[in-house]
Amino acid sequence: MNRIRTPFAMAAAMLALGALASCGGGGGSAAADATKAAAPATPAQADPGYAALAKLPDWNGVWEPAAFARPGAARQTPPAPPKLTPDYAKQFDAFQAKNRSTPGINFVSNVANCVPPGLPGSMTQPYPIEFLFTPGRVTVLIETYSMVRRIYTDGSALPAADQLDPSYQGTSVGHWEGDTLVVETSGILPETSPMQGINGHSDQLKVTERMRLVDPETLEIATTREDPTVFIEPYTTTARYARHRDWKIMEYVCAQNNHDALDEHGNPAFSLERKPGE
Amino acid sequence: MMRTALLSLAAALAATSASAHHSTAMFEWGKEKSIDGTIDKWEWTQPHTFVWLVVPGSGGKVQQWGFEGMSPSWLGRRGWNIHTLTRGDKVKLIYYPLRDGRQGGFFVRVTLPDGKTLQALPGGGGPPPPTPTSGAR
Repeated sequence: MNRIRTPFAMAAAMLALGALASCGGGGGSAAADATKAAAPATPAQADPGYAALAKLPDWNGVWEPAAFARPGAARQTPPAPPKLTPDYAKQFDAFQAKNRSTPGINFVSNVANCVPPGLPGSMTQPYPIEFLFTPGRVTVLIETYSMVRRIYTDGSALPAADQLDPSYQGTSVGHWEGDTLVVETSGILPETSPMQGINGHSDQLKVTERMRLVDPETLEIATTREDPTVFIEPYTTTARYARHRDWKIMEYVCAQNNHDALDEHGNPAFSLERKPGE
Repeated sequence: MMRTALLSLAAALAATSASAHHSTAMFEWGKEKSIDGTIDKWEWTQPHTFVWLVVPGSGGKVQQWGFEGMSPSWLGRRGWNIHTLTRGDKVKLIYYPLRDGRQGGFFVRVTLPDGKTLQALPGGGGPPPPTPTSGAR
């Protein structure tokens, strides 16, 4: 048996011994050697899930919201306005009125303080996104705010909303219907915005996304929001993304140099303070 | 056609906020002003780049001006980088001013010492106000 060289190794060994002890095992080093000897010789056999990934559509590269990538061609017909419950209709109307009177005022939210947007707004930020396929998982990496979505495609059911810890991106499961990835998400933090012009929703918000290639270089995501406290009927918007095979996702740390935090009244502000030490 | 494309891009930018994460209400968006000065510092940072400019003032004093710009995520994919501006460069900077009159704004384009002009935002006279139904945030 090798000598234990570092505190880390010592801690790991203690944990391993503890696990063996709790399983009723004894003679730690002998059991560990036996496990090593039984390890499979061919990794491919160990995880056949990787072979199945070859059947999935090619979503390689990074995807830029088409409104930015292809101006002129990309502006699609705006969706019909949502059918909202009375309280949220009032909020939405006030948003539109304020937008007309003070251009630019509407982006007043904690996002200016570098708090990331929740789903589904996180998917229509100006900067690109990318997809990683691994067995039982699709991972979405969002450049803006460096956000991550883990979509479980291993057959897991979507837990009931009251079983989930609320989070900005919620809890997502997905399945493939042909070449369309269907993603269902709940457990989205109620303080986030389910669509522009509305702040807040209940813990019942469910977002369903249908993602597919509409041509080899264009990804389309149709996003349906359901929350009976906000929407009288499900509300769907569609966004397109242009592929850039040669781009790489950049680092985005919003707190690096943010001059746009809201003032003490929650209004837009602009700091002309230089960084400390200058 | 090109102009239409630029205006559409401008609209898209305005709709998602020119800056990805905050209001543009503190700037007189679309009202171009010009200033000549010397680069004191070029900050290639998220969520925005920043130009600190020193400008001759009255009585031999220099004034400091600060200009926010688009992010490295935007500019970095359109030919800009951390070396585009250097301390000591004498530049002409076109910007949208702060509404409150302080010495700063959002920069639109920069003319370098060699006369080359770099666009930092789509032109076209400034984007129209944000569209309320863009669904982006």
